[in-house]
Amino acid sequence: MSTEWEIAVVGGGVAGLTAARVAAEAGRRVIAYDRLSPGGQLVNLTTLHDYPEPGGSAEPWALISELVARAEAAGVTMSFDEVTRVHAGAPARLETSGGEVTAGAVVIATGLTNGRLGLPGEEALVGRGLSTCAGCDGPLYRGKAVAVVGDDEWTAEEALELAELASSVTVLVPGTPRWSPERDQRLTAADRVEVLTGAMVTGLRADGVLQGVTVRTGDGERELPVQGVFPYVGRSGPVGLVDGLPADAEKRLLTEDGVRTAVPTVFVAGDARAGAAQTLLSVVADGAAAGQAAVAALRPAGGGPAGGGLRIVDPTFGVLPDDADVEVRAGGTADWTQVALFTNSKPNATELLRGVGERLQAHWDLRDLGFASKDNASAAADKDTIDWLSQNYKMVVVAVGD
Amino acid sequence: MAPLLVTSTFLPLVEAQAKARRVSPRLIVVPHPVGGLNEGELAAKIETAAAELLTLADEARGAE
Ligand SMILES: Cc1cc2nc3c(=O)[nH]c(=O)nc-3n(C[C@H](O)[C@H](O)[C@H](O)COP(=O)(O)OP(=O)(O)OC[C@H]3O[C@@H](n4cnc5c(N)ncnc54)[C@H](O)[C@@H]3O)c2cc1C
Repeated sequence: MSTEWEIAVVGGGVAGLTAARVAAEAGRRVIAYDRLSPGGQLVNLTTLHDYPEPGGSAEPWALISELVARAEAAGVTMSFDEVTRVHAGAPARLETSGGEVTAGAVVIATGLTNGRLGLPGEEALVGRGLSTCAGCDGPLYRGKAVAVVGDDEWTAEEALELAELASSVTVLVPGTPRWSPERDQRLTAADRVEVLTGAMVTGLRADGVLQGVTVRTGDGERELPVQGVFPYVGRSGPVGLVDGLPADAEKRLLTEDGVRTAVPTVFVAGDARAGAAQTLLSVVADGAAAGQAAVAALRPAGGGPAGGGLRIVDPTFGVLPDDADVEVRAGGTADWTQVALFTNSKPNATELLRGVGERLQAHWDLRDLGFASKDNASAAADKDTIDWLSQNYKMVVVAVGD
Repeated sequence: MAPLLVTSTFLPLVEAQAKARRVSPRLIVVPHPVGGLNEGELAAKIETAAAELLTLADEARGAE
């Protein structure tokens, strides 16, 4: 693959895919990087609200498919590598997990990190009571008490989604809510939802899994016995990714004028931008503006539209390839007695996989089964593990989505 | 070969990602959810998924 690009887009969420498509449609050679999967935050949602127009709703996977298909049609090359550092310059130099590349202009569209409370012991509870995805993990809390921490529109929506399943939902708002009167009404009308304002989570009580949180309000501190906590606070932007670019208190990159930064060839789009509205409609607009600005920052295009389809350089994150693709990459020595299981570590996924694996083991009279897992459910699969599996096993049964 | 076990809720997402990666994985779809099920409920899902996997695996092995 080429290491010299006209435009490099970092992040394959709505902002990044839109920027990449717009730049490619203008005839530029564009690469878009995502360290996980296309869609970004959308992957965690079950319904999109206020999209494609305020008050409307849509399905996330339909939008992801559309964004990918349009980028593909425009000739964007996608790489599933992580960009670890961008050195501003002409051209800019990008350090990635797949090697170094250069680009005439760079769009940063990396979004924000997952919500966190900033408390000790928090990371160990991810998947064991702490989640940032009501759509994925909500069913685990059926009939249980949960807390949701945040103050914006999407905190309110996540709380409403959880209220369909949980026995009680306490929404802990650190200050005062920023959500709309319409969402406020729906929260008030919802059974089992209580909103506490001026509420700070100051501690987590756990015994391997979450058992409760300590909450401080104007009335003092109290224990809230919840089995799940969903933080939508403490999300931060990509400060430090680009040499010398200043950031706001939430580590989102500051721009001077819309999507332009202090560096003439570096642009920021979507949630990663300081002051971003964090709605899909604004993110699409941002992505388009950044794509256009990146094109304008280059010299006039030399030729017609860039050729080539959406090119995948690493098809191994989250979804494993099969058939011919894996045959090419595999060592080729494995036979049908070499079968492994690979779990995404989501609750019960391993049990499901082992149960299914045991049936196959008995059916084919296999001596044993290989086994590998992701470190935790919300992290990407380790590349070395994937390589090891593809080299040593003829068949790998994978749990990918639950 | 890498058959994927996916729950119905996540099927469209997995399909979208597979499309983006230009792969067409063999999918075994299990009704959502899997997390939070008790042993009996999970056993029923294992039965259904295993039946599909065995057919698919026999076919793949036989095709070589
Ligand atoms: C819980 C929740 C619910 C929401 N619901 C709605 C809703 O209903 N309607 C609505 O309008 N908005 C909603 N939003 C807001 C909306 O989802 C976001 O504003 C939007 O998805 C942000 O898009 P983005 O492209 O800027 O960032 P993201 O979607 O976060 O995408 C960033 C991408 O960059 C990748 N990345 C990050 N760093 C790197 C790196 N160094 N190298 C390579 N790749 C990298 C990530 O893997 C990710 O795929 C919601 C937000 C949340 C948190």
